[in-house]
Amino acid sequence: MLRNAIRVPSGRIAAVLLGIVFFLAIFGPVLAPDAPNTTVGAQLQGPSGAHLLGTDYVGRDVLSRMLAGSTLSVLGALMVVVIAFVVGAIPGLLSVYLGRAFEWVSLRVVDTMIALPFLVFAVAMTALLGNGVVQSMFAVGILLSPVFFRVARSSALSVARSQYVEAATLSGASTAWVMRKHFLAKVLPPISIALSTTMATGLVVIASLTFLGIGVQPPTATWGGILAADLQYIAIQPLAPLVPVVVILAAVLGCNLFADAVRDVSGEAGRQLLNARAAKKAGRVTRVPRARIGLRKGGELG
Amino acid sequence: MATVSIAGAPSRGSLLIHHRARQFAGAIWRLLAAFIPVFLLGSFFTFLLGSISGLNPAPLQLGDGASLSAVHALEQKWGLTRPFFDQYFTWLGHVLSGNLGRSWANNNPVSTLLEGRAIITLSAAGLALLIGIVFGFALGALAARYQNTWVDRLVTILSATISTLPPFIVGVVLIDLFATSLHLLPAAGYVSLGQGFEPWFSHIILPAVALSFDTVADVARQLRIGLVSAKRQHYVTGAVVRGLNGRRVFWVHTLRNAVSPSIAVLGLKFPALLGGAVVTESIFQLSGYGQFATQAAVQGDVPSVQAVLVVAVILVVIFNMVVNVILNALVPSASRGT
Repeated sequence: MLRNAIRVPSGRIAAVLLGIVFFLAIFGPVLAPDAPNTTVGAQLQGPSGAHLLGTDYVGRDVLSRMLAGSTLSVLGALMVVVIAFVVGAIPGLLSVYLGRAFEWVSLRVVDTMIALPFLVFAVAMTALLGNGVVQSMFAVGILLSPVFFRVARSSALSVARSQYVEAATLSGASTAWVMRKHFLAKVLPPISIALSTTMATGLVVIASLTFLGIGVQPPTATWGGILAADLQYIAIQPLAPLVPVVVILAAVLGCNLFADAVRDVSGEAGRQLLNARAAKKAGRVTRVPRARIGLRKGGELG
Repeated sequence: MATVSIAGAPSRGSLLIHHRARQFAGAIWRLLAAFIPVFLLGSFFTFLLGSISGLNPAPLQLGDGASLSAVHALEQKWGLTRPFFDQYFTWLGHVLSGNLGRSWANNNPVSTLLEGRAIITLSAAGLALLIGIVFGFALGALAARYQNTWVDRLVTILSATISTLPPFIVGVVLIDLFATSLHLLPAAGYVSLGQGFEPWFSHIILPAVALSFDTVADVARQLRIGLVSAKRQHYVTGAVVRGLNGRRVFWVHTLRNAVSPSIAVLGLKFPALLGGAVVTESIFQLSGYGQFATQAAVQGDVPSVQAVLVVAVILVVIFNMVVNVILNALVPSASRGT
């Protein structure tokens, strides 16, 4: 499925963007030319040879801070996705198998969680529970878990009550084979779509929280925190906020494009799309000029 | 002409009234059955959050060096030593009677602290909602009217793009563009409506636009899908064939049957608008309810945070009930089933 996803253009762009983002998240702190939390030059300088993205309001190198901040910003969002997946998917599966009482209660809880004003609760949970990075990841992860509850539940429903699974089991297929051939093939696309859209939401929410100064302590560099500081001095350096803005948007765009690509290539429509592309590439298709079928005024049909 | 009436049998009119009344009662019952659990669970989460935080008013009221016995006396005074459910139901009772409790930070009733702030948030969120409805409907209708042309493609690309732009990024770019570079609008602050429409509007329009993008995109998308599929229905073809004019076909036959998903999406977007307020208020330095929530949460002022959250839950529930009523009135089939 991943191999199929990079066969469409949006998937290729997504792969490049996500590759860069994760590369930065892992190696960013090592690549930073200066220490992120020490003053290295004059305050609020524009881009120059010594400081490619300029300096901030206490004279720290912006490029180094962006690189150092990428770890927390990206891996924080990744942790959010993992927590949301575990917290959401397990009750989602159980809601199908554990009986009606559990099903009713879990559905009401999920309905309520979806109706809550998400960001206010994320801020309140993080700050009241100790205002740390771990708290913010758990708060956001729990609040985003309904996505995975629904995906897991609908996948389980579609497989548990489908006749082809029953037929495969009756004709002697092993459980492992059924899982691989029917369950994973059916479940993997919606889950990877949910994973990447949740990753996009996680990136935005972590950036929003750090922008507000929630969940991190001051000298720590994060993309949202850099944006908040730039906004304070927007009158002096009007272009400075664009650096974190572009980086955050690129990361979010990568996740969304990946979700789009998976959506495009999965299912029956996806197979047709891929076949058509392959045929076009091999030059086996000649385009028929657009045919018009219609009826002139006063004409007759048949 | 003489009407034949059978003694004792109810007339047709009163039967109809009975039927309507039963339908109405049924609709109200379904509405309450859907939203009471959301309110109860939402308020329970809210209270539970304050409780598991384990915070008490001592750091705010006695400072850091308070003695254990003083802290204990304070906890007793605020009723924090009572059993959890006892505390919860007392608090819920107070909330339902309009008493939101007192702030730990300054002992003032939270409702007075929130009063002036809520109006700021609601004007920004309300204006964002209005922008979302007007532009979303216009774009969606345009895309469906010129389906499969460049207009349609442009609207689709535009809504896909703006729905991925988070409010705080849009806000920063808007400030950079309209306040710092063009000097057209103020970058921050709030002026009350009492001081004139224009100053109020100029302060509230940028935050509202920043908040509205997601709503515009979703409403446009849902309306386009709805209109395109409604246009294919036989009753629309039938109406065109009968020679009804295009405007009537659009308003009565197509739009009315296409509109429900885009109205339903508004109910889902409202919590996002309230939540987005937390960040946009920080960017535009509006001292609204989102700023209040952030400050109170960082301070550890539990009653204030609980009050803000429960008010948000109540607003969401009321808004969704209104959306539901509108949907049921517009599309009678929406009230059936479920």
